[in-house]
Amino acid sequence: MMTYALRRLLMLPVVLFVLSLMIFGLQMSLSPTQRLATYAPSDDFLKGGQESIRMMIEEYGLNDPFFVQYGRWIGNVLQGNLGWSETARQPVAVALTRLFPATMELVVLAFIPGLLLAIYFGSRAGIHHNRWPDHIIRLFTILGWSFPTYVFGLLMLLIFYSTLDWFPPGRLSQWAVVEVTGDGFTRYTGANTLDALLNGNFAVFFDALRHMAAPVITLTYVNLASITRVMRTSMLEALRQDYVRTARAKGMPRRVVELHHARRNALLPVATIAGMELAFMMGGVVITESIFDYSGLGQFAAKSAATLDFPAILGFGLYFAVVLVVLNLLVDLVYPLLDPRVKTR
Amino acid sequence: MKRAIAMSLGLGLGLMATTAIAETKNPGTFVFLWTDDVQSFDPAYIADTPSSYGVLNVYSRLLNYKGSEISEFVPSLSTEVPSLENGLIVEHDDGSVSYTFPIREGVFAHRVGIKGDDGSISWELYDTLTDEQKAAMVPGYGEITAEDVQYSLLRAMLMGQSWMSNAITEVVTAGKYPTIADWVKDVGEVDSIDDASPEALRQVYDALASQIVVDGDKVTITLPSSFPATLGVMALPFGTSIVDKEWTADVGGWTGSGDDWREFYRPELSADALFDKENGTGPFMLEEWDKTDRRITLKRFDNYFMGPASLERVVIRTVPEWTTRRLQLLSGDADFVAAPVEFLDELSKTEGVKVIDSLPKVFSRGLFFFWPIDDNDNPAIGSGKLDGKGIPPEFFGDIDVRKGFNYAQNYDVLIQQVLLGKTVQSRGPSVRGIMGYRPDSPVYTYDLDKAAEHFKKAFDGKLWDVGFEFTAYIQEGNTTANAAMSILQQGLQRVNPKFKMKIQALPSASLQALRNNREKPAVPFTFMGWGPDYSDPGGPLGAATYYLASTGLVGGFSGQGYRDLMAEHFDPLLAEAWASSDPAVREPIYAKLQEMSYDYATTQFLFEEFGYIVVRDNIDGYVHNMITYGAWDFYPITKGD
Repeated sequence: MMTYALRRLLMLPVVLFVLSLMIFGLQMSLSPTQRLATYAPSDDFLKGGQESIRMMIEEYGLNDPFFVQYGRWIGNVLQGNLGWSETARQPVAVALTRLFPATMELVVLAFIPGLLLAIYFGSRAGIHHNRWPDHIIRLFTILGWSFPTYVFGLLMLLIFYSTLDWFPPGRLSQWAVVEVTGDGFTRYTGANTLDALLNGNFAVFFDALRHMAAPVITLTYVNLASITRVMRTSMLEALRQDYVRTARAKGMPRRVVELHHARRNALLPVATIAGMELAFMMGGVVITESIFDYSGLGQFAAKSAATLDFPAILGFGLYFAVVLVVLNLLVDLVYPLLDPRVKTR
Repeated sequence: MKRAIAMSLGLGLGLMATTAIAETKNPGTFVFLWTDDVQSFDPAYIADTPSSYGVLNVYSRLLNYKGSEISEFVPSLSTEVPSLENGLIVEHDDGSVSYTFPIREGVFAHRVGIKGDDGSISWELYDTLTDEQKAAMVPGYGEITAEDVQYSLLRAMLMGQSWMSNAITEVVTAGKYPTIADWVKDVGEVDSIDDASPEALRQVYDALASQIVVDGDKVTITLPSSFPATLGVMALPFGTSIVDKEWTADVGGWTGSGDDWREFYRPELSADALFDKENGTGPFMLEEWDKTDRRITLKRFDNYFMGPASLERVVIRTVPEWTTRRLQLLSGDADFVAAPVEFLDELSKTEGVKVIDSLPKVFSRGLFFFWPIDDNDNPAIGSGKLDGKGIPPEFFGDIDVRKGFNYAQNYDVLIQQVLLGKTVQSRGPSVRGIMGYRPDSPVYTYDLDKAAEHFKKAFDGKLWDVGFEFTAYIQEGNTTANAAMSILQQGLQRVNPKFKMKIQALPSASLQALRNNREKPAVPFTFMGWGPDYSDPGGPLGAATYYLASTGLVGGFSGQGYRDLMAEHFDPLLAEAWASSDPAVREPIYAKLQEMSYDYATTQFLFEEFGYIVVRDNIDGYVHNMITYGAWDFYPITKGD
């Protein structure tokens, strides 16, 4: 097991190196002038004239050969310097570090209950195949699949914010912002709920939860739908296996057969898809974050891409690659726990 | 699509939203939701309007614009507005002109230096000082003096970072040097400021410092010759904002020495000491700038020298999603929101919401002709020949082509239907309120017969026979640009089905890159708008110069052909107008230039840009000044209960 994990870990730098080359290569497909334009904060930049443009190309070394520029960039990356993001008005590494807790907080709150509910609903639907619990769950998941996140999010806002005023957008109310930025509040992690608990400030804790409720429900529902469907199919498959029939024939209680024997094996494909879902959520949930005015990695990535903020795009690309590779590794490590046969293979 | 869905949902569930029309939330705090970002809080660094919102409110200048007036001023840190009448403007025999500003006494910055028991100096908020601390204040540390004014102006010019700071250099050199680098290159006889010797750098500093002289509590700026827009530049919320010298040096900024200013020339944003901190004397202090949450919080400065503001706090947040902003406005969580123009009518009928629209702006939008166009593998011009499958590089150099295009545009449809009749057709570079504007000057109208007449004359009739095909570029997401181009596209097709103009939307950065080739831009035709930086139409930053000088901004990127046209016909008149300080002499010249922009069809002037604001109905006090591009001055704003 340890060798297996180490082998996977050793692949990580190679994957990241290749990815970094690809991402950097994409940027280099633009001309120096085009890349320089990405340093221009506004159209006013043009007022500097052609000479200023030439000076800036020299200043940023945008005419240097590919590997010189790549070497310079990767050298900086290895020192933790991902460059300056015009979009975030701060170093890319700082932006990623500060935004990560916000997205992580949202993802954890949405993913864990979503996954547990999906496993539960998927199992029930599989067990009660073609009976009313299955029909209800299928309808529920089809609705989740069919609702674009954008529309579902807007509906959530209209109902729970506009009408009921329960779950406002943003991360905190104005009074809570004043509290959090005040002297008496320490920012330990950057995650509002956790920091509020660590500070013993329950008013801020509940305010943060109130603001997270709508995006969490939206994300949970959307992800729940896809994982539930996989779980249901997988459960149906497992329930048709010989070992399930044998267990039933031996007179084992139905609950034990379904939940211990069948469900455990049915979890394998769910682990794969859940790992991927989690990775994509960790990359930021652009639409959810935008609709609910939730400053996280998704909004940052979207704006960086729209404004061709290359240091941010490169930095985010690297971050996402790391997340993807690490989560893939974790999923691989979870497999043997669910199915011991994987270990022996 | 997203907008369409949002609109439908918004309308469909509008009734539900009405329950949220709310009581006053966050009393005393003005919540301002927009889609922009502030680049920096350093007045010497910034040049864009969104960034000026921060600087305008945390710093003070020598003068302020008088309400919405663009050519009248009121005292601020200067106790008087210089004029010939009060003797503070003096015209010397050698042609030089002096402006003297008496500096207000007893003005303190947000933080002042307090001497500790061990002799060290700490910076404390002035609002929270005890009597004991006030007694320990170090003179000059946070108290604004004439030296601070001199330092601030020198710092902005020597930093050479932004267009707006370089504008001060243009003022001080009366237009001789557009940037400090040009001055250094001239003095040092070098090609680049990097090659300049320490002596040359010092020489420039000394020359500059000798033009901004401190005499007791007065600062006198001497210009080598008249620069009529001087006071206008001084009142802009950019590099002429006054910083405290001691504090700036203490936080790592320029010390004020003439020997080390080069170290602070054109810094990286992240290396600029005043990037995200301030110590101004304005009505608000920067309490927090959370770049991650894209939120700026300004807190009232209770000891502001003109009296404290009504608002206790201003929260400026970037919220890109319109529906979210809209719902926050309706629920009362937001007091101002940036709103798309197509929602104005709906919002104006919404309870609790106030819309103020048709606010004039100081510039117009138009479609810009470029020539010669880059013909090196440029897909925008197709074959690059007049063969019906492309256009030649000099296509727009033919005046009949430009006139044909201008007659093929349906201005009424654009203004009445797309822009909901909220503005008027533009008559040239000078808009209403700028010298040279005359309401009866000629404008193009939608006239397909005249368009055909000109197109038939173009290229000796060949154009009419073979037709053309090219790509016009617009900025991605700009719906007005798309509409203007599409209307023109239809007009051209009606004139002659062989006239094919494709429209392609590009991200802003890509569009800039295509325009950047000064000699041969790769863009044949695009939608833009450029505004002057002061109300005077002349001088390097005036509206007429921007558009109609061979050295102007528009000339800078429109290609050599455009510049040659300007040099031949427009430059002499521009120089003549700028040389005079008599409005009676200047006005007819600028009016003539405006008319010539019609005669030569230099640009397809479309409409005067207009502004509007959408606020909760308990918000009052907004003052719209078009020369500051409608920047929000939060000082007079009130929020009712």
